[in-house]
Amino acid sequence: MIYRVRHTTRYAYGSTVDLAAHLLHLTPRALPGQRVLEAAIIAEPAASRLRAAIDHFGNHVTWLFVDTPHAAFEVTGDATVEVGFALPPPAAGTLPWEEVAALARAGGPAAWQAAEFTFESPMVQVEAAAGEYAAASFPPGRPVLEGLLELNARIRRELTYRSGVTDLATPVREVLRRREGVCQDFSHLMISALRALGLPARYVSGYIRTYPPPGQPRRRGTDQSHAWVGAWLGPAHGWVDLDPTNGVVVREEHLVVGWGRDYADVSPVSGVVLGGGAHRLSIAVDLEPLEATAGASG
Amino acid sequence: MDAVSPLDEMVDGAGGFRPQWRSLLGALADLGREALAERAVLLDRFFADEGVTSLLANPAAPDRPAAWRCDPIPLILPPAEFDTLEAGLAQRATLLEAVLQDVYGPQHLLAEGLLPPALVHANPAFLRPCRDPVAGRAGPLLHLYAADLARAPDGAWRVVADRTAVPTGIAHVLENRRALSRHMPEFLRARDLRQHGPFFDIWQDALQRLAPGGAGGNPGVALLTTGHTNPLWFEHVILSRELSCALVEGGDLTVRDGVLYLKTLRGLQRVEVLLRRQDGRMMDPLELESSMAHGVSGLLDAARSGAVKIVNDPGSGFAEAPGLAAFLPALAPRLLGEALLLRGARTLWLGDPAARALVGGDLGPWLVRRAVDGTVPSVRPATLDAAARAALLHRVLAAPQDYAVSEVLAPSVAPCVGPAGLEPRPVMLRVFLVFDGSRWRALQGGLARVMGSGTLSKDVWVPAEEGAAIQGPGGLVVPALAIRRTSGDLPSRVADNFFWLGRYLERLESAARLLRASGSRLARPTPTPRELAELKSLSACLVRAELLDPEVAEGGATGLGSRPLARALVQAMREGGPVLGLVGKVSRMTDLLRDRLTGEMQLALHHGLRDLAALLRPGPAAREEAQGLEQLAEASHAVLSFAATVAGLAAENMVRGGGRLFLDLGRRVERAQAIVAELARVLDQPGAASQPARLEPGLRLALELRDSVITYRSRYLTVLQAAPVLDLVLADEGNPRGLAFQLATARDMLVDLDGDAGSPLAAAADQLLEEARGMVREVATATVQAEAAMRLPPRLRAMEGAMAALSNRIARRYFTLLPAAHSLGPAAPGGRLRGAA
Repeated sequence: MIYRVRHTTRYAYGSTVDLAAHLLHLTPRALPGQRVLEAAIIAEPAASRLRAAIDHFGNHVTWLFVDTPHAAFEVTGDATVEVGFALPPPAAGTLPWEEVAALARAGGPAAWQAAEFTFESPMVQVEAAAGEYAAASFPPGRPVLEGLLELNARIRRELTYRSGVTDLATPVREVLRRREGVCQDFSHLMISALRALGLPARYVSGYIRTYPPPGQPRRRGTDQSHAWVGAWLGPAHGWVDLDPTNGVVVREEHLVVGWGRDYADVSPVSGVVLGGGAHRLSIAVDLEPLEATAGASG
Repeated sequence: MDAVSPLDEMVDGAGGFRPQWRSLLGALADLGREALAERAVLLDRFFADEGVTSLLANPAAPDRPAAWRCDPIPLILPPAEFDTLEAGLAQRATLLEAVLQDVYGPQHLLAEGLLPPALVHANPAFLRPCRDPVAGRAGPLLHLYAADLARAPDGAWRVVADRTAVPTGIAHVLENRRALSRHMPEFLRARDLRQHGPFFDIWQDALQRLAPGGAGGNPGVALLTTGHTNPLWFEHVILSRELSCALVEGGDLTVRDGVLYLKTLRGLQRVEVLLRRQDGRMMDPLELESSMAHGVSGLLDAARSGAVKIVNDPGSGFAEAPGLAAFLPALAPRLLGEALLLRGARTLWLGDPAARALVGGDLGPWLVRRAVDGTVPSVRPATLDAAARAALLHRVLAAPQDYAVSEVLAPSVAPCVGPAGLEPRPVMLRVFLVFDGSRWRALQGGLARVMGSGTLSKDVWVPAEEGAAIQGPGGLVVPALAIRRTSGDLPSRVADNFFWLGRYLERLESAARLLRASGSRLARPTPTPRELAELKSLSACLVRAELLDPEVAEGGATGLGSRPLARALVQAMREGGPVLGLVGKVSRMTDLLRDRLTGEMQLALHHGLRDLAALLRPGPAAREEAQGLEQLAEASHAVLSFAATVAGLAAENMVRGGGRLFLDLGRRVERAQAIVAELARVLDQPGAASQPARLEPGLRLALELRDSVITYRSRYLTVLQAAPVLDLVLADEGNPRGLAFQLATARDMLVDLDGDAGSPLAAAADQLLEEARGMVREVATATVQAEAAMRLPPRLRAMEGAMAALSNRIARRYFTLLPAAHSLGPAAPGGRLRGAA
């Protein structure tokens, strides 16, 4: 499936900003199962300095500086991407979850990169309560993917999607208590739960295809950025992406921008400005399906 | 391990003294126990006076670090032994640099299983934005390194901690040596020690070489501090002097187009090398958490593109993880192709199952440390009771990867001056090394900390061998410096502080003058009507200077009210009163400017302010009014003489980079404002229109407050007339206490600063001067001078306003700091349910 994604962030400032620095994770990374056909960053006012690099996690990161006085700033990431992620391996054939945890703990050639995602991170406390919540899906000896799929489905079933009740600072403990939140909360909860069991889990930032209500045309700019969870199955099978908000395995309706330990590592747009007073933020995301590619199902 | 008794640094255990101590023994015996104890007290006072603070936070008052202390007796290390240490630590620093380059680059050590992920990825000092996984990082990431060492009973020094983030204590080494030279001269006399100087030459030189364009271009080097609230502020001040680099705070810096600049009076000046003395996590709010207050947005980007070199690298704190020590013996052959020359205290990382098996269930013989956080104090399980020990074991076993254990060493003991003579006490050594571009070079000496003593330390002596070559920098040719005389390089923040120091000093002096004038009148048993009128004018001036409550001043108008007035004035000089408040403000500015004042000036201010505060603060509430007024007179006198001393010193000997100019400008502006404000009030005499004689008290006061009575008499004898008085106070440029002098001086300084005779600020000062002259001319040519003079107060008040406006314009022109940075809250991903549009 080929998508064009446009993600626009606009800041309107209360007073003039003299100097602004922005850090962007808006350019999707290339992956097995994801081909980036085109990618651009468009800013208004134009950047006085624009630098791009690969960050610690292998994501595309862009630094954008504006040093002319401005009252508003708008940046758009515009990319055309072909996606079609492989089916995960048969769950029953995956390693027992304890073995996966032991491999990650040992590090070394096969597991050192995955091991990074077993530790606590700034926005994901490893909560014992989250571990207990997950434990029901991980009885001793169960193949890891079986447990993951069940946990993914349980979060979809047992937690309620509701925006406005949580924010970026809401801790995992609170999400677990309320049993409601948005994609980022569900992802952080699942990550915390898996790490509590010693399993590597990472935060994936990206977009998901949405469908208009039956009989209505697709409305532009009404999409949102999305987040889900990458989980490690061991050296043989690597990572699988699971979306606990929707209870699905990521196949071809998700588009990956990048990943990190939690939201803070891959926040799409952040920045520091000199001056500016209070600011108003508006965001518009549009994920437009261009065409189904040959070979991709659905 | 406990059974082995610690080694004694001075005696050899066989009844003899170790050779390196022998030359000190004579001087020690000559001094005697009592003299030695006295010297110890003198040394304590030295550090308290100099404001030298401890390396350790003061748990009782974190914002007021405890004073540093130095024992009179040094720790003496034989040269050959020190050279061995230097070689071992140089190798260790080279190894840590290689580890840092790997961890912040390809991470081969992790891939090969030579470093466990827990020590890297769970280490809060591993800063992901500092990693370049593609190209790797260009070194050196480590530029300055320090190690803490303890000497084991077998006589060998062992490394117990690595300092790779912001190694502290170098200034303490310098101060210890300075203190001993001053207070223990007989110890240092005729003793030839290896000197500290060459280390700073090497260091300064190495910093210059780090500049992207090399040392040739006379690069901008700056030391980054969090400012005067940093517990080790004094060390930053000393280092910036020793290294001749600018001392800057995050707020002084800005990044434009990927280049780092310092905001100075003359505009932006490029900084190419940044010696960081603050937490690496606080360097850049764009990429690192919690650095809003002290960081510079875009700094990491500038560093990444090579426009500025930051040392030590913001991520260098990673190598301080205590657990890392467990892996260094194996990493040395892998990375350097050689074994460690200098052993570390044996350390095991408990995340390793083999290490856990070795320790078993008994932590007793070990020292338990957090694996990645060296700031958490280590625990000695053997000193805990059974329950606490079991709880510790439980915690360790629940998360073994978070812990490391080290062997318990019995550090060597060295003689310290105690109440009962010399006492052997355990010491820990800190040695400092700097990378000169090709190899690591040690400061020849160091710091010995006396364990369990709080802040007590020892100077470390390395005797010089006969005919030893003098070490120097490696023959770098630094081009001749351009001669600079202007104050353009002064950071705007510093100029602002000088300006306000000038204003507060002047305000303090003027307060003392007003209080003295009022006090002397109140001291008379029965004030004459003239004195009462003067008191009324004075009260108005006191209210304007915020030294007196307006209500009390109102009461003072009647004869009956003089008693509360006297009480209020005595109170103004006491604890909580406005005068002490001003002393506090002067004191704060002096602290802020510590790096910019000469030692002499700083001591004069420090001692003067301390004495003033001591005189004013306790003031036993005098029962008798007369006694209170006497104290008032004494206190005003003390303030005035302090002000005179400071003014004299400032005129003679203070200049560091143009500070004096702003100090003086502040004084002139403050004084000019006070002159017109007070004159407006003393000329405001009701009834003077019909009886010109009523203006007389006002005229007399105008002269007295400007200290111009004698000048007036010498010119006009005792006849008081409005025009000559006003001429002296307002228009005579030759009277240093008059308005014209202030305005003319300020104008000249403003021309100087702008380097342009047409400076708009200078023109504004000129205009005020012209206006003052005009007033005097009008009064002089009036038929009735008193009448003309009485019409001045409203105009004088308007002028007071114009003066305040000028002060604001000066502030805007020279001191405007960069606007405050703030972070843009990132947007939370909405992450809707599929199909829920």
